[in-house]
Amino acid sequence: MLEREGALAFWLLAPTLALLTLFIAYPFVRGVWLSVTNSVVGVPGDFVGMKNFTKIFDDSIFRTAALNTFIYTAVTTVFKLALGLWLALLLNRSFRGKSWVRAFILLPFIIPTVLSTLAWKWMFDPTFSVFNWLFWKLSIINSRINWLGDPELAMSSVMIVNVWRGVPFYAISLLAGLQTINPDLHEAAAIDGANRFQRFWHVTWPLLLPVTMVVVLFSIIQTFADFQLVYVLTGGGPANATHLFATYAYQIGIGTGLLSEGAAISLAMFPALLLVVVFQLWYIRRVENR
Amino acid sequence: MIEGARWKKWLWFYLPMGLFILGLLFPFYWMLVTTVRPDGEMYRPWNHPLYSPFWTTHPTFDHIKNLLYETLFNRWMWNTMFIAMVATLISLFCGVIAGYALARLRFKWAGFLGTGIFVTYLVPQTLLFIPLADIIREYHIGDTPWALILTYPTFLIPFCTWLMMGYFKAIPKELEECARIDGAARWQAMVYIIFPIAVPGILSAGIFAFTLSWNEFIYALVFLSSPEQKTVPVGVVSELIRGDVFFWGPLMAGALIGSVPVAIVYSFFVEHYVAGMTGSVKG
Amino acid sequence: MAIFTRRKFLQASGAGLAGILASHQAPVFAQQSTVHWIKWNDFVPASDELLRKTILPEAMKQLGMKINLETVNGNDLQPRVTSAIQSGSGPDVFMLFNNHPHLYAASAVDISDVAEAIGSAQGGYYKLCRSNTNDGKKFMSVPWAIIGGMIAYRKSWFEEVGYSKFPATWQEYHEAGKKLKAKGRPIGQTLGHTFGDAPTFSYPYLWSWGGKEVDEKGRVVLDSKATVESVKFMQAFWKDAHDEGGLAWDDTNNNRAFLSGTICATLNGASIYIESLRKPDQYKTEKGAPLKSDILHSPLPKGPAGQFGMHTFQSHMVPSYSKNQKGAKEFLKWIHDPKNFDAWFLSQKGFATPTTQVWEKHKMWDEDPVMAPFKVAGRLGLTPGYAGPANRKAAEVLTKYIITDMYAKAVQGMAPEAAVKWAAEEVNKVYAGT
Repeated sequence: MLEREGALAFWLLAPTLALLTLFIAYPFVRGVWLSVTNSVVGVPGDFVGMKNFTKIFDDSIFRTAALNTFIYTAVTTVFKLALGLWLALLLNRSFRGKSWVRAFILLPFIIPTVLSTLAWKWMFDPTFSVFNWLFWKLSIINSRINWLGDPELAMSSVMIVNVWRGVPFYAISLLAGLQTINPDLHEAAAIDGANRFQRFWHVTWPLLLPVTMVVVLFSIIQTFADFQLVYVLTGGGPANATHLFATYAYQIGIGTGLLSEGAAISLAMFPALLLVVVFQLWYIRRVENR
Repeated sequence: MIEGARWKKWLWFYLPMGLFILGLLFPFYWMLVTTVRPDGEMYRPWNHPLYSPFWTTHPTFDHIKNLLYETLFNRWMWNTMFIAMVATLISLFCGVIAGYALARLRFKWAGFLGTGIFVTYLVPQTLLFIPLADIIREYHIGDTPWALILTYPTFLIPFCTWLMMGYFKAIPKELEECARIDGAARWQAMVYIIFPIAVPGILSAGIFAFTLSWNEFIYALVFLSSPEQKTVPVGVVSELIRGDVFFWGPLMAGALIGSVPVAIVYSFFVEHYVAGMTGSVKG
Repeated sequence: MAIFTRRKFLQASGAGLAGILASHQAPVFAQQSTVHWIKWNDFVPASDELLRKTILPEAMKQLGMKINLETVNGNDLQPRVTSAIQSGSGPDVFMLFNNHPHLYAASAVDISDVAEAIGSAQGGYYKLCRSNTNDGKKFMSVPWAIIGGMIAYRKSWFEEVGYSKFPATWQEYHEAGKKLKAKGRPIGQTLGHTFGDAPTFSYPYLWSWGGKEVDEKGRVVLDSKATVESVKFMQAFWKDAHDEGGLAWDDTNNNRAFLSGTICATLNGASIYIESLRKPDQYKTEKGAPLKSDILHSPLPKGPAGQFGMHTFQSHMVPSYSKNQKGAKEFLKWIHDPKNFDAWFLSQKGFATPTTQVWEKHKMWDEDPVMAPFKVAGRLGLTPGYAGPANRKAAEVLTKYIITDMYAKAVQGMAPEAAVKWAAEEVNKVYAGT
């Protein structure tokens, strides 16, 4: 019996394994090889061990990029979760035009990142920004807000766009989760005297936790490896203030042609991500087995 | 009191909802206005007395015409659609059967493979694309849609598998056992009993895969070179940002038109998806 | 419903996959050869149009080859080149900026025959052309054009604050800028990671104070009193006279800012002026006159160590992976032939200066006095890595934006000495490596 299951499993998994081996495992190994050589574009290079890694850890821009990536991921995830959950709770009610709203709010998530980010870039433009106009008209500011030119503000601007993009995804996924919760449970709790907040905390949230953790997990992975958003909005600037692992790896590897260093930077992302993911998986298992 | 309740509803529901909708959709409104705004009006600084961002008095279709007739935008739309659909189908196929295998079958390597597939999701694209370029070249699929169709599943399959695993785990084992008792083979039970129940999950995985394919940039930028082969994100960014001048008009037109069809398809499926989810709970 | 067995599926997919691979094996058939040319999206769109509609069809006729032109956004050009070289397939002729040919020297075809022929037939190359494209032993690429960078400024505004001629020194420029910023018309300059405007400002600015990355012997001498002076000056200069949004600008922001009348001067190619010529009704001064009548050009002001300029340089390389090297070389020879280059040059209206000296005598330069300063851009320009040799290391420093970042960090608040020290360390790291 077990044998037959094993055989069936093999066939079912074969296409997946073939594709992933060919297009991920094999290039990954080659990528690792790149990171321990001193290849530059067009020149295969020789083995140099960990030299690339020591070089990048010495690099102040790399350390900035690393810090940025962690902060970027952490802050945006918190906001996306909070706002997404709030929106999901709002959408869970019935109201007129609900299906239209549900469809339209997904737009930020659907539209290709590059294109929507360009729209934001236009909205943040130092000379033509519509936000500056708005705040100016409302007398909140007197002189222009330098959305993308001020290093601290630039990071916030990038995070705003990421949150804007991610909230619909969180909202819809959490909404689906909310809708699997039996309303009888809420009724029972209400009869027992629980107010709205208590019902949420003791009934909704625990039941939502599995879905939440999965959503958060995937969001973290994507955000950590984010490239397009920063690339389009700021290119990593001003003066490297918004560089993430991926954008810096790209600039070094492709921009400067130092392929091995670029590969090393990309690879440096991997352990941190692995740690975060392992922790979350462990947490999910714990929740599931409860 | 009736008045009190209404006030509460406004504060706790309508106001936040309105703010969310405004915040999420304003950029699209902005895109729309920019698309029909003539150039002369567009390039006025924000503290210019005549700055009128929210509407335009001389709407023009020039930008849209420019986009559709003087660039290869239509071709890019077709390319992107084709690549996204085929990549999604491949990923769904692989993900569904792999998810089933990992969730329902018992065999020695299940845990290891499950984790392995998931780990591949973590590998960043910025690491892979140089070695992948070599592989693409070796198989002679450079500068064709197949370069993307075969590489996109690398980040689509893990997610589809994971999602489907969740769905399959939630389906009670009794259903399969009943079918098996009735004489069906294992795979028949899988295809005829389990898969139909998991359709909402399959749909949502498919939607997600489709969106991710549509969105992808790096691989498309690197593996495709001829203008006719490009996808919408790459084409718009490379052809409409001509050095000193961002052609914001056609750019926003492209952004808008590029997302409308996807949004329509999506909204149709979202209905189905959420209905399916609630249905599966009640049923 | 069709019975769908595992076996049938595997057969079908296997056949399908084989079919895919088979159909994309390029069949070897005797056909006209093709040359795939990739260049940037020209800042003067009219030139690309001319290429596509007139010049290239003519070339195809005369040479009997198919020529595919691909244009890419300037910032995306280098990534395409890198991945093409790495994967060993792609364009046959690609355009490179500044001293990038040094980065790809190992993958370039020796193109000295084509380059030397053009040079000697046209009065010789400018010095900076050689440094960018020649590694001392051979030509790695064929010089194409120099995009002269000058300060475009509003004549009337400078006159209003007392400068009938453009400020001659940095101090004067600072004074003028301060007065103009007080009137809401600051100078606009990018200190971001752009391949055009930022380096063409930061490098000559550094040189004009006497600072340099390396000396003639190749030693890193960036950390010097002159450099620190230049950074100190820049901090005050930026705050008093510049539009501080410039830190986030790319190569297009200053164009738009200037054309909409928010800045009084900026270092740029001639594209601002050319754009104002293109649409005289759209771009007007606040008094209603066409903007083009109020724009003049000037080289960068003098510093204590002299007056310098650095111009964005373009050349074409034929990669060694190309399967049609012969065709590529033929094409390059053809397009540099004055008969054919002339039309392209005219369409540029002076935005690009050719790389050989004979073109200085072209009568186009006499047509518009506003464009006159661009004529001699080639003669006066220097290359990154000055005063050392222009080589791969200088190219690396350029692509890492170290010099530009030095100033960017300082205007954001870092102490001048610290900024210079940081930059010098980074440059040292580059020059210390192999």
